[in-house]
Order: sequence, then C-alpha cells, then structure tokens
Amino acid sequence: MGTNMSQRQLCKPWEHRYSRRQLLGTMAAGGLGLRSFLQPSVADELAKNDKQVLLIWLDGGMSQLESWDPKPNTEFGGPFRAIPTSVPGINVCELLQHTAKQMHHLAVLRSVCTQDNSHSAGVARINRGDPKNRGVEYPFLGSAVAKLLGPTSSGMPPYVWIKPYSGGFKASDAGFLGAKYGALALGDGKPPDNLLLNKSISAEENELRNELRQKFDERYAVGRRKEWTEANSYVYELAKKLMDRGDLFDESSFTDKDRERYGTHELGRHLLLARRTLETGVRFVKVNSYHWDSHGDNFNACDSLIRQFDQPFAALIEDLHDRSMLNNVLVIVMSEFGRTPKINSHVGRDHWPEAWSIAMAGAGIKRGVVVGKTNDQGTFVDGQPHDIGDLFHTWFKAMGVPQELMQYDNHGQPLPVAHDDCSPISELLA
Amino acid sequence: MDETTLLAQYEPKPTGKVVDYERQLFQARFSPCGNFLIASGYDATVQRWDLRGDEVKRLNPCLGHHAWVECLSFISGTERIVSADSWGQIAVWQYTDETPAPVWKNESAHDGWIRAVAVSPDGQWIASGGNDRILRIWSATDGTPHKEWSHPDKIFSLCFHPDGSSLVSGDLKGVIRDWDVGTATVRREIDARVLYQLDKIQECGGVRHLTFDYEGKQLACAGQKTPGGGFSTGFPCVLVFSWESGQQIREMQMGNNDDGFAYDAVFHPAGFVMATSCAFPGKGSVWCWTPADEKAFYDSKSISNGRSISLHPDGRRIALLVSQSANANGRKLVDGVYQGGSARIHLLEFPGPKWDAA
Repeated sequence: MGTNMSQRQLCKPWEHRYSRRQLLGTMAAGGLGLRSFLQPSVADELAKNDKQVLLIWLDGGMSQLESWDPKPNTEFGGPFRAIPTSVPGINVCELLQHTAKQMHHLAVLRSVCTQDNSHSAGVARINRGDPKNRGVEYPFLGSAVAKLLGPTSSGMPPYVWIKPYSGGFKASDAGFLGAKYGALALGDGKPPDNLLLNKSISAEENELRNELRQKFDERYAVGRRKEWTEANSYVYELAKKLMDRGDLFDESSFTDKDRERYGTHELGRHLLLARRTLETGVRFVKVNSYHWDSHGDNFNACDSLIRQFDQPFAALIEDLHDRSMLNNVLVIVMSEFGRTPKINSHVGRDHWPEAWSIAMAGAGIKRGVVVGKTNDQGTFVDGQPHDIGDLFHTWFKAMGVPQELMQYDNHGQPLPVAHDDCSPISELLA
Repeated sequence: MDETTLLAQYEPKPTGKVVDYERQLFQARFSPCGNFLIASGYDATVQRWDLRGDEVKRLNPCLGHHAWVECLSFISGTERIVSADSWGQIAVWQYTDETPAPVWKNESAHDGWIRAVAVSPDGQWIASGGNDRILRIWSATDGTPHKEWSHPDKIFSLCFHPDGSSLVSGDLKGVIRDWDVGTATVRREIDARVLYQLDKIQECGGVRHLTFDYEGKQLACAGQKTPGGGFSTGFPCVLVFSWESGQQIREMQMGNNDDGFAYDAVFHPAGFVMATSCAFPGKGSVWCWTPADEKAFYDSKSISNGRSISLHPDGRRIALLVSQSANANGRKLVDGVYQGGSARIHLLEFPGPKWDAA
C-alpha cells in the first residue's frame, strides 16, 4: 500500500529539469540522507551551524498598510499616521510604535507579490515557498529546516510550533520528508499532555516500559517504509528530551517585567515562550496567531490586533539582541497574503497577494533596511516584485545552508529545496 | 398610531434625486437651515451640496484635513460646522462660504484618531474624543481649550443632552457615561455592553453613535449586537434607553448575526427611530421603529451598506448615505486601473405632512 502511495506522489519526468551536475550528485547519493553525499568539509560546516529560526505567522493576513508599508493620506491609506523609526527615512504605521524603535534591527521587504488570494491555497503555498509542482507535497519551512539542519547541539526537538488551541505532533507540515520532520505543537504554549512522568512510576519501571515500547516499534516497522515508522519512535525520543526540560513550561519563572513587556495576551505569552524555547536550543520555532482576516471593521481590528503583535515583537527583538542571540536567530513575520488597498463597504480590507510586506531580522539579514517598494497608492509593486520563492532562497542562504544542500533526495527523486526560478534577494542579506 | 397609519405617513419614498460622490463617506447631514447637505469622508474633505434649486449643486469642499474625517457636527446659532480627523485635527468652518477656510483649527487636538465631536445646545462648547481616551472641551468660537479629562476607554461617540446638562459618551466596551462637564465627573453609567465583545483575540464593536430624542427623554445608541472579528459580523442593533431611569426601553435588533453595524440612528419628532446599517447585499439596511412597539414598522431591504441617515428640519426629507464598495479578494481592475469605493446619498421623503415644530 505504502509503495503505491509513494509512487503516485512522484512527479513525471517532464515536470522538471535538472543540471547534469545535480543529477550526477543525486545518483551518487543513491537515496541516502542528504548529508551522505556532501563533501566532508560541507558536512562538518553544517554540523557547526547553530542558526535558529523564529517564524511568526499571523494567520488570515495582516494589513501591510496598517503595519510595514503605510500610505498616509492617500486614497487607500486608511486613518492612521505613519511614524518615524529608529532608522532615519523609514516610516511605519503608528500601530507599530514599539517596533519602530527596533527598526535598526529589522529588514522589511515591501515588494512581496505572490499568487494566491484564498486562505486554503495561500497558507500552504507561502509556508512551502510556493515550489513548482512536482507531484509531491513540499514541506513547510519549519520541516525543511528540521531536515536540512537537524536539531541543534542541544538535542532539543528541531521544530516546535507554539499555537493557540490544541497541541500534539503535527506531521502534516513535513510533506514528502516524512512524519519525523513534523512539528511538535504546544497547544496554547502548554506541554504535551502527560509529558511529565507520573510519580507512581519509578525510573526503573519507566526504562522497562521504554524497552517494551521499542520492541513493539521494531515489530511494527517490519515491512513498512522507514519514514513512516521512524516517526513513531521519534516522537517518544522527543518526549524524553522534553521531560528533561520541564522547566520550559514553567510560566511562573518569567519575571513580572517580562510579562509586562510582552503582555499577558495570547501572542505576548506565546512570544515570551518562544524566546525561552529558542534559548533552550530548539532549531525552528513557529508561533501562530489566528483571526487576522479583517474583512470588516479592519481599522478597529488592526488597532486591536497589531498592537498585540507590536508590543511583544519589539520586546522579543530587543531581548534577542541584548542576549547576543540575534546574530544566530533568523526572525520572520509573515501571513498568507496582505490585504486589499480598497476599503470595502464593511470598512474592511480583503485578500491581496499582489503587493504586501514581510519583515525579518537576525541571522544573515541586513539590519535597518527596507527593500522594494509599492507605488504611491500601495496598490502594486513598483519595480522588481519578489515571490515567496525568492524569500526561501534568501532565508536558507541567511541560515548558511550551502548551495550543495539546496536539493532534497526523495527516494532518488531530486527536488530543489526552493523554487528553481527564484533566487536570494541580495539586498536583504548581510 | 398603528403600523398602517405610520406607514402611510412615514414610509420613506425615493424623490428621484441621488447625490453621487467618487469616494466613500462617513456621514451626510442636512444643515439646520435645511439648505445644505454636508458630508465627511475618507478623503480628508468636508463636502457640501446646495439643496435650494431644482438640482442638487455641489459646492467647493472644506479642505485642510489630513486623513479620515469621521465626525462632524453643526454649531447651534451659527452657520458653522466642526469636523475632526483621524490624525487628531479639529477644524471649524463657515459652511455657507463660497470656499470655506477654517475659522479655527487645532492640528494636535488629540493624539490620533478623533472618533466623535458634539456641540453643546447653546453653541458655546465643542466636546471631542477618540482613541487617545481623553475628553476635551473647546470654545466653539475660537478653539480655546476649556477643559479635559481622561476617559476609561476609547471614545466612539458623544452627544449633549438637549438641555445642556449632560455630556454623554459611548465607548468601545459598550459603556455609556453621563458626564457632569462642570466637575468632569461621571454621574452614572448606562449599560450597552451587548454592543461589545472580546471575540477570541479581537476587541469588537462599541457604541458607534449616540442621539437624543427632541425632548431629551430617550437616548438611542447604535452598534452591533454580539459583534465578531473577521468579517465583523453581528446583529445591527439600536438600543433605546429612558434618560431618566437609564433603563433600556427597547432593543432594536435588525437582520441577521452576519450583517454588520448599525452605524447611525436619529429620532423623528413623531417619536420613532430611523436607523441604517451595513449589511451584505439583499439584507435590511434602513428601518423605522417606534420604541414602544415590539417591531419596526418599516424595514427596507433594498439598500445595502447604509452609513448614515439624516432628517431634514422639515421632518419629511431624509438623506440616506450608502457605501458602494463591494468585498473582493484579489486584483480588480477596470481599464487597467485599480478601483476604490464610492458613496451615494439617496434623498428620500416621507409622504406625510411637514413636521410642525410648534
């Protein structure tokens, strides 16, 4: 059954082109892990890579006009003012009053132009970097980083997702990489259920229990594809590591000052937890905030929502800098699209992938810059537009992923990590 | 009066006249003299139309605001109007001038978005408030600051009692406050919290409009019942309170819970409330409802996305402002040009006699 499914996922030969060099490289790899066909120097370099990523996903679509790309006193500009930032000449919307003071750490791309104006398509394609269709389901960015860079030396799970609502292990992010590269989701920032060892079970009993589980796992694995079975035991290994770091979830250990600076609302609490999660060595942390889809009453919605982002985001950037972490942590803020310049009859803004903004900071990223621009009305990109594929290339390069690694091996099928028609945006790279 | 009698006199009928404007507007009001229609909008202007001829004549606008002009109010006993914008500026204009210039203005009257202005019945004072949570009182004559005090939440609406004894504020959280301007203290609070909701992570709703009846015995507030985020959906709703007791007399809930805000309401001298709401096409957007009755005697489903409703001093003519800007995801170009929204003011009329002010 598994083999048939796997074969159906493979692309047709005419759906992709590869260079001879790439093809030979893949053949040499022969279906082994990516690192196996790297030159030793590349593998050694990769092993030293301690870059981390924080992706803040504002689900539903944050308005670029009420945040990174204000167009005050224009037809579509809305009611808010633009304010100066810590970088002379760069203005943002007044709703980002705290973030404005951290602008010297940030880079904003105002020329994002993507394809999908529906949530269902947009969420997946932006998270996957909108790769060409090769008949497989590409991984989300977090899973891609987990695969390419693996856990940090901390041994902590490589991909942790802090989100509202439920938690658990979310394998769907991993796509063709296999469930193992999915996200460990902390529902409302809480630890997985029953993470900590029940006091009635001794360490010896627990060890025996694990040995029995491993035997069951081995029996289950017989005759099944490795990438499906290894995820089973993998999540247990993750749980064991997390059990050792139960302090991660101890909210009482945050200082009052931290709580005041980040705010006690959901996104504030989750970004504070994200800071600690990064400090423990998790490679990729994703923080989701939902309900940004402001089709009605957009401006009151932004006044409520963007301020909830602004305060903890600014605190987080400040903290990462103060703790000398910003050189290693790549921070990304994005949604599935921006919002229409046009203000509808419900005083809302609808979906707009044509011209929007993505902000970033940290590892490998130039600081205190705005790259790209929209026209005076904010309706379309003025100049070179940039798709999400360009950003994936940019981010992988910023993370120090060598060019030799920018290709997956899907059971012999070579697949580019990022869209092969796109390229890094040099103006964003430090 | 029974419903049939009310409808015979007070069913709004089209006059055949509409006023179109190329940008969206927040409100359109008849001047106290009845000769002008004044509107404020998204384009930082105050627009004027002369109603005295057979044709409605567009006049030069009042220019000098910087951003959205959400609120305006006439200054009693004068031919002046006060307007305020979302960048914190208040300006007073002689609206009968050929090309109005500000009589006075204050560019930093507030820090940011001014959501409401109100003028005392004697025309002496202007009250203003907005997102900065400060209530300020100004001399209507020259803009001299008179008094200010902090307000517990964002101020979305203001009005004076007709006898001038109280300034009433409505806020984001659905709280109506009766202020003694002399002492800057709250006499009492009136509960309109049904117009507010913390929906998941978004604060939604608020008291979007306040108005008294002609005798000052009833207070109406407009908004949205159980407001939600996203599409900002809820029941369009007007609440009517007894001013003496502060008790709710009537909850005028119209349409469905996915419609939107009732943005505006006004009492007719005959005692009923006229209101208009934003709604998806095909749903009610203007209605007439006597507070003593359990349901509206008039509910039009023919006009969507109502933004304001104004009653002419003759008690017969109505200016109903609607927004024309359909929801649309993605690229919408006409001849290669990206399209914004526009406004239309429907001039309606009651079939019954003029209101006898006596």
